[in-house]
Amino acid sequence: MKEGFRQAMAWLHTWTGLVFGWLLFAIFLTGTLAYFKDEINHWMQPEIPSRPLDAAASLTLAQTYLQQRAPDAPSWQITLPDARDPGISVSWQQAPARPGERGRFTEKILDAQTGAEVPVRKSFGGEFFYRFHFQLQMPYPWGRWLATSAAMVMFIALITGIITHKKIFKDFFTFRPRKGQRSWLDGHNAVGVLVLPFHLMITYSSLVIFMAMVMPASLLVSYGSDRSAFYDEVFPEAPTPERAGIPATLPAMAPLLARASEQLGGGNVARVTVINPGDANASVQVARASSDRITYEYGNDVTFNGVSGQILDATPAKPLPMAIAGSFYGLHIGHFAGPVLRWLYFICGLAGTAMIGTGLVIWLGKRQLKHAKTGVMPFELRLVEVLNIASMAGLIGAVAAFFWANRLLPLSLDGRANWEVNTFFIAWTLSLVHALLRPGRKAWVEQLTLAALLFTTVPLLNALTTAHHLGVTLAQKDWALAGFDLTCLAAGLLLAWAAWKMQRAAHTVRVEKTRRETTRPITLEQGTR
Amino acid sequence: MKAKLAALPMSYRLAVTSRVLAAVFGGYLVAALASVTLTLWLPLNRAEAVVTGMTVSFLVYLVAVLWCFACRTAWSAWVGLLVPSVILATVSGAARGLGLA
Amino acid sequence: MLLALLLCYVGFTALCLSMPRHHDELLGRKPSSRRVRNLKLAGWLLLCLSLWAAVAAKDWGFGLVDWFAVSMFSALLLVLLMPYRPKLALSLAALSLLAAPVAAWAWW
Repeated sequence: MKEGFRQAMAWLHTWTGLVFGWLLFAIFLTGTLAYFKDEINHWMQPEIPSRPLDAAASLTLAQTYLQQRAPDAPSWQITLPDARDPGISVSWQQAPARPGERGRFTEKILDAQTGAEVPVRKSFGGEFFYRFHFQLQMPYPWGRWLATSAAMVMFIALITGIITHKKIFKDFFTFRPRKGQRSWLDGHNAVGVLVLPFHLMITYSSLVIFMAMVMPASLLVSYGSDRSAFYDEVFPEAPTPERAGIPATLPAMAPLLARASEQLGGGNVARVTVINPGDANASVQVARASSDRITYEYGNDVTFNGVSGQILDATPAKPLPMAIAGSFYGLHIGHFAGPVLRWLYFICGLAGTAMIGTGLVIWLGKRQLKHAKTGVMPFELRLVEVLNIASMAGLIGAVAAFFWANRLLPLSLDGRANWEVNTFFIAWTLSLVHALLRPGRKAWVEQLTLAALLFTTVPLLNALTTAHHLGVTLAQKDWALAGFDLTCLAAGLLLAWAAWKMQRAAHTVRVEKTRRETTRPITLEQGTR
Repeated sequence: MKAKLAALPMSYRLAVTSRVLAAVFGGYLVAALASVTLTLWLPLNRAEAVVTGMTVSFLVYLVAVLWCFACRTAWSAWVGLLVPSVILATVSGAARGLGLA
Repeated sequence: MLLALLLCYVGFTALCLSMPRHHDELLGRKPSSRRVRNLKLAGWLLLCLSLWAAVAAKDWGFGLVDWFAVSMFSALLLVLLMPYRPKLALSLAALSLLAAPVAAWAWW
């Protein structure tokens, strides 16, 4: 610490990177997958058919269904299908068992063309990755606290990385493969520096998203214990009139869509909520589609009296600080992204994941060199090695196992959705055990090979277990389903290549050990002196 | 980190631990106080001021953490956090006293 | 977005070539100081043009996002191509330079 600013920052970068690297790798990987959570949902619940989009028709079908199934429910919620989410989602609150309590929510998916219920297999789908990346499968609120703390450490690691990288401009375009540790560092720097705007945005925005939870001091000072007053001011919602007790049939809501769209400046509607349907004071709240603008908007945008069609209120425009915070949120989740931009988000997310992964490999690689001669690794390094393998190769394998479970678990299995998630964690745990039992190199190769196998055969698995295989989906232009199969295939091939390279590097090390240690082969990953 | 873990002197380990604690907890305190100060002094309405204070606080946290590891000794880490904390607390209190809150 | 991407890629290639080490790697000789200056100028100019193209297409909010996305992608592409397929990296730049006016005209 007395050695100078840059060295101190380098020290901080190294240790924050290591201690939180494994967790951050998991957060980044699952978060990156979450950019395609709708597509993952679609693949994992292929029973929901994709139909041409017609908001008014979908709304009418939903209304008809809800009128039949839940005419007396205190509230209905209808999520209209969009380009990435093919089904109509309807949910309603059942009358509470006791007054003052909240009733149970029931959700069903409807076919966007026929309005019939779709018998869909129970699965968390892509939502699992989405929720995991900020809740970490831990009880509320601990998971979020840990994830947000990790985000703060990530922020420190990014800034200290920038400070430490002396030749950040000189080495901007530098990447020298096939040079052992040097290449890993070049790679780490490349995916770090070239994608820096994304990394800084994603990290800072994740802090802003949970800022009211982790940094509440100013909130408490200004509002005392009345937190809800704060939220009412930040996310103003039109007050909905009380139940009148006078029954009245709800007229067709479809015409309200056009009027709402007008109010929203030509925007699209994503969600319609009906409070007290069947009552004279029924209100219809119409929420804007997130794809319309960058700022993520909560709350409802236009509220109508359901029976008369009169506009009760419209959410006002956001003041600047809220718009900025909302923009951070919106940029983070990227709901507004079209297909090309969404792929770019995905690539940037993978780059971030790779940045963390290469960092962990470098951390160990540098220190392993000192013990290469003795061939015995001290406990601390062995621990890092095991955690590296399990948290990276093991996690990737667990993702594949999750998809496999979706296709192999019986459709009628009780708690099937939870069992898919259990499979994920069981696979991840097994990878840890495997990494403990096997020597480092071999563990890497074996786990990468297994993951490669599981991913490349996903399209085959899909073809054998459902009718929605590539032959069908490509012909129907169902890009989400086809894209999923093809991306898994590509991922599998990439993993196979990685496994092969690891295997080759291991060979060269073994051969090298029998010769006298004088030459400097460049194929070596380790052992370069 | 050239020395093997076992060879590190206890004084070094204590110093590092001290800096880490200062950074994590002291840094949080400074960031929180900074957010409160901003919120009370910014000429915005209540909700806007709170949102601004919270959004900016993490930058303060960053600087505090970097300070804890850049400064010369572990003691200066704590002092370097204590002084701004006292100043910020005073300034916030002044806002309250002046009726700005 | 396409125009912004093409211009970004050429811009980054120009900036890359303006560095003697990379110029030597890619073109086999060191650049003169005049060439360095011109390449730097051209590179920055192209990046600015690309930003203008992105914002003009979609307004400041979405435009900026698009520009950052294509610039990060094109930089990554260039840096990953260079050591493995340097000729491809350069030909892509040449192609992009030719395609850019076409893309601009098509969009107008």
